[in-house]
Amino acid sequence: MPETSSTNTAGAVEVGDGPVARSPIRPLPPVRLHAGWEVSGRRSEAALQLADLSPLAKVHVRTSPTSALASFLEVGFGRSARDEGGRLVVGAGPDSWTVIGRTGTASEIVASLQAAAGAEPASVIDTTHGRALVRLTGSDARRLLEKVCAIDFDDAVTPDGATFTSSVARVVTEVVRDDLDGLPSYLLACERSSGQYLFDSLLDAGNEFTVEIDGFPEKEI
Amino acid sequence: MSTAKRLLSGRPTKMRITSRPGEVIDRSKPVRFTWNGREKSAFEGDTIISALAASGERVFSRSFKYHRPRGILTATFHDPGCSVQVGDEPNVRGSHRLVTAGMKVTAQNVWPSLKLDVASANRAAGRFIGAGFYYKTFIKPERLWPTYEKVLQRFAPGGRVSADSPHGSYDKRYAHPDVVVAGGGPAGMAAALGAAEAGARVMLVEEEHSLGGHLRYGSETELAALAELRREVEASGAIEVLVNSAVTGRYDGNWIAILQRNLPHVTERLVKARAKVVVAAPGLIERPYVFEGNDLPGVMLSTAARRLLNLWAVAPGTRAVVLSANEEGDATAADLSDAGVHVAQVVDARRGEQVVRARGAGSLSEVELGDGSKVSCDLLVTAVGWTAPTLLLNVAGDRPVYDERAARFVPGDGLPANVLATGGIVGDGPTAALVEHGRATGRAAAERALARDGTSVTIPSLSPAPHPALYRSRTHGIVDFSEDISSKDLVSAAREGYDSVELLKRYTTATMGPAQGKLETINTVAVLAEATGRSIAETGTTVWRPPHVPVSLGALAGRVLEPVRYSPMQPWHEAHRATPIVAGQWIRPEHYGDPAREVRTVREHVGLIDVTPLGKLDLRGPDVPKLLNFLYVNKWLKLDIGSVRYGLMCGEDGVVLDDGVTGHLGEDHYLMSTTSSGADAVAHWIENWLQTTFPDWQVYMTPMTTAYASINVAGPKSRELMSRVVSDVDLSPEAFAYMQVRRGTICSVPGCVMWRIGFTGELSYELHVPAGYGLYVWESLLAAGEDLSAGVFGLEAQRIMRLEKGHLIVSQDTDGLTQGYGVGLDGLIKLDKEDFAGKQELEWQLERQGYNHLVALLPDDASVVPPEASQIVTGDRSIVGRVTSSRLSPSLGRSICLALVAPQLAETGKSVTVHLPDGTDVRAKVSEELAQFDPGGERLRA
Repeated sequence: MPETSSTNTAGAVEVGDGPVARSPIRPLPPVRLHAGWEVSGRRSEAALQLADLSPLAKVHVRTSPTSALASFLEVGFGRSARDEGGRLVVGAGPDSWTVIGRTGTASEIVASLQAAAGAEPASVIDTTHGRALVRLTGSDARRLLEKVCAIDFDDAVTPDGATFTSSVARVVTEVVRDDLDGLPSYLLACERSSGQYLFDSLLDAGNEFTVEIDGFPEKEI
Repeated sequence: MSTAKRLLSGRPTKMRITSRPGEVIDRSKPVRFTWNGREKSAFEGDTIISALAASGERVFSRSFKYHRPRGILTATFHDPGCSVQVGDEPNVRGSHRLVTAGMKVTAQNVWPSLKLDVASANRAAGRFIGAGFYYKTFIKPERLWPTYEKVLQRFAPGGRVSADSPHGSYDKRYAHPDVVVAGGGPAGMAAALGAAEAGARVMLVEEEHSLGGHLRYGSETELAALAELRREVEASGAIEVLVNSAVTGRYDGNWIAILQRNLPHVTERLVKARAKVVVAAPGLIERPYVFEGNDLPGVMLSTAARRLLNLWAVAPGTRAVVLSANEEGDATAADLSDAGVHVAQVVDARRGEQVVRARGAGSLSEVELGDGSKVSCDLLVTAVGWTAPTLLLNVAGDRPVYDERAARFVPGDGLPANVLATGGIVGDGPTAALVEHGRATGRAAAERALARDGTSVTIPSLSPAPHPALYRSRTHGIVDFSEDISSKDLVSAAREGYDSVELLKRYTTATMGPAQGKLETINTVAVLAEATGRSIAETGTTVWRPPHVPVSLGALAGRVLEPVRYSPMQPWHEAHRATPIVAGQWIRPEHYGDPAREVRTVREHVGLIDVTPLGKLDLRGPDVPKLLNFLYVNKWLKLDIGSVRYGLMCGEDGVVLDDGVTGHLGEDHYLMSTTSSGADAVAHWIENWLQTTFPDWQVYMTPMTTAYASINVAGPKSRELMSRVVSDVDLSPEAFAYMQVRRGTICSVPGCVMWRIGFTGELSYELHVPAGYGLYVWESLLAAGEDLSAGVFGLEAQRIMRLEKGHLIVSQDTDGLTQGYGVGLDGLIKLDKEDFAGKQELEWQLERQGYNHLVALLPDDASVVPPEASQIVTGDRSIVGRVTSSRLSPSLGRSICLALVAPQLAETGKSVTVHLPDGTDVRAKVSEELAQFDPGGERLRA
């Protein structure tokens, strides 16, 4: 395991007077600002890439699976799908969902979900700052994950759109299979404080597949 | 000059012969390496031993006990005489490890050299050091054991490991194949193909460096069959092939452990395969013959000779005698002749002919046959039968049975549905029969794995061929080549009463060496049977147990996965040289150089501490007050919006579980804080109650511990500092009093939560900032407070100040037995509540009394700080308590403690004896208050 390192303020991007939000994962240079967040502008052409997507808006929803809000979300437990607005709705549990949207849109997502909930009991919380989120993309992604996670990643068991929560490198992690342009791709989310550790662990496990760090994606989600 | 010498002369290496059809060496790629410091040449594809044999070497090690010279026996991974040291790596299986350029290979466990080994003097004393010698000789007198141990260690085998040896790269992999096929010979390959054709995902595991089993060193017909099988396997998209890998065991739920070796970037990998069905196709292991001199270099199995000839194009000798009891022996004689090795005599055991003894000084030079004739030779090949490696069957619950007609064990009828067997372990036949059986078995495995009917699959019969029962000649020889156990040793042990095979094994250590019974189990049983006058079936056999091959500790440990957690302010802590402390998974600043100075900063000015690890749980819903009222021992049904309350949680056993404050943020919205170490446990505790006992309550709990960066701003100037960075909250004492909560904007960051509490005993604000802005807010606060002498403080300063204030830390000042009424918070426990977690037990506590109490202790000698965990003792040295926290208070200039003490000591002014780890005692008095600093709380309410 390489030595874990964190964001170094000395290497931070020069900003004005406004607040700067930072991911728990150290951004590789060049570092730039995106919607108030420090992100890496690095671009990789490697066949297997790991990118930090922590700045994306992440809204956690808890409500009854029979509620109007659950119907609005449409996605069942263990599955994920994009809604009309391009947000990824993840069925994280029997009564819980995670909605992932573009950076800076958490308030908007919260408002729309609360409106959909109406008067029914529901918890809609912006967890953007509480979760680290990374994306692993490439044909060897499955082989890498098999080294740190005991789940069966075969297409028949974990197809595109599948989601589950399991131990990844001994960290409780929400895993979403979210293929990109025909390539296997996995989103992995854990609580923020373990983000750098999870990122470093994936890099270490991917060493034999020559995994490379990619910067924050233009497409976001 | 003989034919053999003519053929061999003039070659680049002494024993390398002309190209063979199935050879695995690449003659266009020469490799150079060293053997005991001398340079040797090889070709890519050579093993260490094949390369050395090609160069004419015949001795590769010395035996375990008698230090007899040992050469090639099996030319496989399991060859007991071919373990060598490679660089810093001991016990390398030289007949398996491929040679690489620059490799430094040495013989291990010899002194001063392989050729002249002093310990070989043991041979002279061999008759006195039979089975049980060490047990009997070195057991007494006991006081001499350290001396014995030192001497014996010098003779212990096993090579050398340097303490500076670099750690290899090891990892694990989880796999979920439908079918695992253990063994990549013809039947195993066919089984994999059959399973794949039937729709299964297959993992095919082969111990050798390539698929094929015995076909690899077989006839041209067999090589053609192999090529076709390989082509089919490669073409299949459903078969994952793992070569140079071994199935080491099977565990519950068809959990198959597979060891992969020498991968790019990875020294060894443990594959944890959860297979629906496993097919055991390990083939057969050729059995050595027991006779005098059977371990001389130059005596080898027929499969070893064929492997050397046909895989690595190495002549195993120049003049051979072949003892043959089967087709393999006959084929070996033919291969030897074909390769130009003079076959001096074929001894046909099927006609009653036999070998009686082998002779030679250092290596074989003559064989004596059953009729008394003697034949000069440097190679004796034996082909006397097979051992079925039944490990996978044994561990699946089967008890293989001895088939006298075939002279080997065969599968019993105890296999579960998810384990099948094919190939040599089941029976014999030509390649086509093995393939047919394998393919059908694979199809049946797939049917079972995919939960289909499977009745359409008919597995053809495959029976073991008749074979003469040949174990021992009329002379005695080595049975266990790893442990140097002879048949004479076994007979002696049986005469001593060790006539059960399990006892015999443990007494003599037969089958307990590196070969783990693969070569010697059946011969051991046969010799015991002969010694006791029983049949082999009556004698029975020892049970094979995993691992099938040695597994390194590195592979078992795998990748080092030790999660660590960091706060958003970690970069600042590192940049300012904070001394880290590991708190659970969290890495936290213990201090920044001088904890006492940090205490003064807080007491006199204002200090910041990173308290991000504090548990934070978001609670929403109309029934949250009911939940809080149930979880905490105090009352919670009435808490105004904007207020914060301290609460204590007990488990159902009345033992202190956690504590913290919970704030009422808005309508049906609360934020609960827990201890740093208790965050996960409390979250699970809450979810458990909600899901199992109160499913009708409308409450949603969301862990938010790391969604917020948490900063405690403490000290008399904290309000002044806060006023500089908070724009939308009235911070006046009247508007924002002690134990109140507000939401607002800090350093231009909206959505922050701030509450007034005082763990340090000072006026303080605990800020919870959206975590991504944590570092920004931390740095902004320090910049804003520069003229206020604002500083930072770590855990140590915080612990000092909370101890001065008498605030307990759950799990530091409590333990798994500390009862709710024992922590000095009796007034908090409201037994008049309808119900709450632990109520019944707390009622009994009150009635029963007798529990330990948390008290403050002040040592009589104020300069003595009793270390935490120091015992409190009575005059008769009975233990009546312990110090839970202790520090030298910079604010008070004296030592202060918290302690759990027996109830009779928990009285103000009571003098107790504290026993220190250095053996001395100090006296201390129980203080009236837990708090020694500002007991009235005026500072924190300022």
